[in-house]
Amino acid sequence: MSELVCKNISKAYKKKKVLHGIDLTIEQGKIYGLIGRNGAGKTTLLSVMTAQNPATGGEVILDGMPVWENQQALEHLCFSRELNTLSILGPNSVKVKEYLMMARMYYPNWDREMEKRLVERFDLNVKKRISKLSKGMLSMVTIIVALASKADITILDEPVAGLDVVARTDFYQLLMEEHVNSGRTFIISTHIIEEAANVFEEVIFLKDGMILLKENTQELLERAVHVSGLAGEVDAACEGLTIHHVENIGRSKGVTVLLSAGQQLHPGHDVTVQPVSLQNLFVALCGREA
Amino acid sequence: MNELLSQDKSIYLQLSEMIETDIIRGILLEEERVPSTNELAKLYTINPATAAKGVNLLVDEGILYKKRGIGMFVSEGAKAQIIEKRKSVFYGNYVRNLLEEAKSLGISRGELVAMIDGEQ
Repeated sequence: MSELVCKNISKAYKKKKVLHGIDLTIEQGKIYGLIGRNGAGKTTLLSVMTAQNPATGGEVILDGMPVWENQQALEHLCFSRELNTLSILGPNSVKVKEYLMMARMYYPNWDREMEKRLVERFDLNVKKRISKLSKGMLSMVTIIVALASKADITILDEPVAGLDVVARTDFYQLLMEEHVNSGRTFIISTHIIEEAANVFEEVIFLKDGMILLKENTQELLERAVHVSGLAGEVDAACEGLTIHHVENIGRSKGVTVLLSAGQQLHPGHDVTVQPVSLQNLFVALCGREA
Repeated sequence: MNELLSQDKSIYLQLSEMIETDIIRGILLEEERVPSTNELAKLYTINPATAAKGVNLLVDEGILYKKRGIGMFVSEGAKAQIIEKRKSVFYGNYVRNLLEEAKSLGISRGELVAMIDGEQ
C-alpha cells in the first residue's frame, strides 16, 4: 500500500544547499528513526517529504502519485512539526484546544477518542495558550496531533524534546501500541538515540544533507564492533577492514569497525571486542574526526 | 518475562534467551501459550520485527511451535531440550573464559580445581 519515495531530492535556501540528491524509500508498516546532527537537514527533508516545503530538485512520490499540491496524497501524510512558543500560526493567542480543533479539521481520519485519551494521559491543560506552554508541553501537543491524525505515514520531528524520562518512556509505549494495533508507518527524528534504538526497525543516518546509511537497526548493530588493546594488536586484528573513529591513549588504541557481509576480525590477537550501541556508532560515523 | 534488556547483545537474542530461561524456571510451562510478537513488542517497547526474530529463532529450534490462528506454544520436551543446548555451549561460554582469566592471573590448574572443590 502506502510507499513514500524520494527521488533525487535536493533543496537549497537561496545559495545554501541543505539536501543533496536524497534517494529514500519509506515502506509501509515500519518505524524509522531519522538521526543526524543539528543542521544535517532532518527537518528540511521531513518537510519536503510531506510537501510543506518545495524541493529545489527531484520528486516525492506516494504510491505512484507526486505529493506536491496533491490533496489526495496529502491525506495519507502527517508531519507533526516541532512547535515553539513563537510559532508562526499567528497564535500567540491560540489555545491548545483551538490548535487541536484545527488539526481535527485538517486530518480526515482524526481520532477524537485518542485525542481525549492522550490529553488526559499527559495531564495537559487545553485552555492554556500555546505561547504559555513549556518545552515538554509543546512536545505533548505535537505527539497528540501525530497519533490522533491516524495518517498512514506519520512523521514526528523531535517528539521527545523537553520531555522528562517518564513521559519519554510513555511516548514510546504509546507509539508502539499504536503501531502494533494499526500497522501505521512512523518516521521519528530524535537526538536521544539510545532509548529509541529498540523501537526503530530501520535507522537512517543523515549527514551534511546526504543519506549516510539506511539499514535494519539490529543488522547494523550486529556488524559494528569496538576493538581495543595494544595498538599493534588492534591494527593486526583490523587489517584491511573499514575503521571509524580511532582513539589513541599512549600504547592503547580503540577503533570502531563496521564489518561488511562475510568479513570478520583477524583471529588470534589479544584485543577486547565489544558491541557498539547505536549512539556510539552514530558518534563514530558522524562525529568530529579525531 | 520481567528481565531487563541490556545493550550488551542483540535484542532478539536476549528475548529468545529470556523465554528459554522462563521455560527452565517453570514460569512458562510446556504446551502453554507464550505472548505473541505484538504483545512482546508492547511489553518491552521493542519493534515487532525484532520480537518476531527472537521468537522465530525458538520456533526454528522446535522449542516453540505455532498453532495457526491461535498463537505460539511451548513444545513438549522444550525444557529438556533447552538444558541440553545450554550444556553443549557451557564449555565455550563459561569454562574457556574461566581458564583464560585464570591463566592471565597466574592461577594454576591445581588452585583452580581447589577453588571449585571448596565451593559447596
